[in-house]
Amino acid sequence: MGPFDKEDHVTSVAHFAAPSRQQTLGRARDRGLKIVATLPYHYPRALVRAHGFHPMEVWAPPSARPDSGAMHFQAYACSIVTRGAAFLIDGGFDSVDAVLVPHGCDALQGLGSVLRDFVTQRPPVLTLYAPRTRRPVDLDYLVAEYQRLGASLVDAGGTEPDARAWEEAFAVEEAADAALRGLYADRADLALTDREFYAAVRAHEYLLPEDFTELVAGLPPGPAPRPGVPIVLSGIAADPPALLDVVNDAGAHVLADDLSTGTRRMLPETTEADPWQRLAQSYLAGPVDPTRADPVADRVQRLRDLVQQTGARGVLVIAPPFCEPEQFYLPALRKGLDVPLLYLEHESGTDVDGQLVGRIEAFVETLEVTP
Amino acid sequence: MKTPLPMPQIRSAIGYDLVGRNLLRVQRMRDERALANHKPDPDSPMNPAPRSLVNVKELMSAHYLKGRYAPGVHKVAWVTSGAPVEVLQALGYVLIYPENHAALCGARKMGAELCQAAEDEGYSKDLCSYVRTDLGSIATGKTPVGRLPPPDLLLCCTNICQTVKYWYEVLAEHFDVPLVVIDTPFLYEDAHDHQVEYVRRQLEEELVPTAEQVAGRLLTDKALHKTTQQAQTASNLWAEILDRSQTRPAPMTAFDGFLLMGPIVAMRGLPETTAYYEKVLAEMDERIAAGVGAIKDERHRVLWDNLPVWYRISRLSKTLAALGVNVVASNYTYAWAELADMFDPADPMVSAARTYLHPILNRSTSHKLAGMRRMIDDFDLDGVILHSDRSCKPYSLGQIDERDRIVEQAGVPAILLEADHNDARVWADEQSAGRIEAFVEMMEAAS
Repeated sequence: MGPFDKEDHVTSVAHFAAPSRQQTLGRARDRGLKIVATLPYHYPRALVRAHGFHPMEVWAPPSARPDSGAMHFQAYACSIVTRGAAFLIDGGFDSVDAVLVPHGCDALQGLGSVLRDFVTQRPPVLTLYAPRTRRPVDLDYLVAEYQRLGASLVDAGGTEPDARAWEEAFAVEEAADAALRGLYADRADLALTDREFYAAVRAHEYLLPEDFTELVAGLPPGPAPRPGVPIVLSGIAADPPALLDVVNDAGAHVLADDLSTGTRRMLPETTEADPWQRLAQSYLAGPVDPTRADPVADRVQRLRDLVQQTGARGVLVIAPPFCEPEQFYLPALRKGLDVPLLYLEHESGTDVDGQLVGRIEAFVETLEVTP
Repeated sequence: MKTPLPMPQIRSAIGYDLVGRNLLRVQRMRDERALANHKPDPDSPMNPAPRSLVNVKELMSAHYLKGRYAPGVHKVAWVTSGAPVEVLQALGYVLIYPENHAALCGARKMGAELCQAAEDEGYSKDLCSYVRTDLGSIATGKTPVGRLPPPDLLLCCTNICQTVKYWYEVLAEHFDVPLVVIDTPFLYEDAHDHQVEYVRRQLEEELVPTAEQVAGRLLTDKALHKTTQQAQTASNLWAEILDRSQTRPAPMTAFDGFLLMGPIVAMRGLPETTAYYEKVLAEMDERIAAGVGAIKDERHRVLWDNLPVWYRISRLSKTLAALGVNVVASNYTYAWAELADMFDPADPMVSAARTYLHPILNRSTSHKLAGMRRMIDDFDLDGVILHSDRSCKPYSLGQIDERDRIVEQAGVPAILLEADHNDARVWADEQSAGRIEAFVEMMEAAS
């Protein structure tokens, strides 16, 4: 059993079958792909694939021993960083050919730097700095930054892509992206609980794109169970997945999301012929995202739109403690939304606890009586 | 028809030029007299403080006073501490540094109250205490500087943290003024050409046109050359001042440095800053020539890593001095010195791009460790205090490994001191005192 085998909490609850993480490692290697463990969460998947790698994402694995992370990071580093570090150090490094740490925030910056500078006996640790604004100058920079990442992947044992490799990579990744969009579009017509729905969505974090597309195609049709009042889910991740059962049991269901593990990463396709431009344009045209430090008014408007479009009665924001990108927008969201908002801080990778249940139940009760 | 009186100009001429500056001058002279006539306390572990501390008070007070009367007279920009301000100085902006203002609030023991005010507005207690202090100040109007002028322009450079981008988005929303972002990719290794080019283009394509438009005037090469030259000269002087503490006994403490650094942070590029640091350097040379150390019995020389604990500067300084410890060096004060050579007045844009990509906070943990190792040698240090600052993740994450390597490789004791730079509610006197005493015992055992 490899370290990735312990991390199948996402799919194990769903009544559909998907290859496990460990199986996916084997399937990727059978196709001649190397493995890059990827921290959250914006990175160009088609670029990685075109260079001969398959990305397996690492989001605060529950099996990780926090003590191993605490040997490198203070208690005020978020659990995605400490558990991610622990997972890699305690065996994850041995299963992969490279690690990619996108610069998602100051804490991930620290993780990337510490892994590169102070952790020995590891595969190459690659980095990516995406811009925090969306101007013409950012596009040119991002193209060059993607090219630097491509060169790093080649140095890590990957292959310089030719036109065909790019074409194949875009084909499978864009098919998977289309499947993800379809999954959201067909949400009402799939017989999936919220927990099962997000298990399917999050399978995209580790499955081969071909397997993800196949998984989505095979999901059971039927009316989605939608108990109680509708809500919008926002924040980093619905973690632990059992939290969604708590939401349903409390008398609410999720109609739409603005999650880092959900729609925030659904980027538009572009028709640009040059692959670097295509990827960079797509990223910069992506949805408003607090982890990109987008303007406050845009963030509020995105959630207002989601609430209005879906008729949601409340917004539930979930993030690990010390998550600055989420925390900064809260006062504006509380003032700018016409529906109640609950901000839940919960250590990623840990179980549901009584306090979490109590807060969700109280929130849903509030929504039930709010006109 | 009579032209209406330009009231802001009149207010500024009276309040700042005529009254305010003269009052500050009188106050400074009084303080200097008091310092000169001060009878040394035989029981104090400290020698008389540098008189430059009196001068810096006048300089910084005048800076904030000018800002107070700036609306309608000068354009005001609020900027981050690592922002490329030479362009704005050349266009005649009055610059306000919210971080410097927050530090001032912290040093005046207002930090906790203002943090609480921001938390009452809904901001998390886990956000940087500089941010909470300033947002609390905006919410309550409380400030030790009388009144902060609202900005006409915001300039945010991400070379110190990502926090500032979020912070300035909140400010942009609140004040409804243009926000210019200079995004500086974090340097895990040496800077790549595309990263330098990215910053250069942002300076030329984003900052200059917006700053010109708001200022209503054009930037000239001559003015930019001049402010860049001033910034470089002042930064070099600041480096020389800090390096004077390589002398035994050191003429100042790093705690003095935290206060003396105000002008290089907030008034970089101005001639009065350069003039001030020339005087500080001369004073340090005087003290060295006279054999006057900052503390009376300098048995242990120590490095301070990270931001200061603003609300405990004086007490920490005395506590350590009583134990024979002089904190003679800090990589935080050095942050405004080590880049001096990168400025090039002959090529201000490209050199600014390079300079502002390279602050310590925008560089890897190994770079920071190498800097500390170098300082241990250059300043002949006996130990390192790493302030584990829960409000500053870019500075603090990595410290556990850095401490371990300092102990293993440099062979000197090093401790992590848990605190927060501006939120006094996080500070635990007893716990900190215990750790410091144990640290001193380790140094004594090692000597």
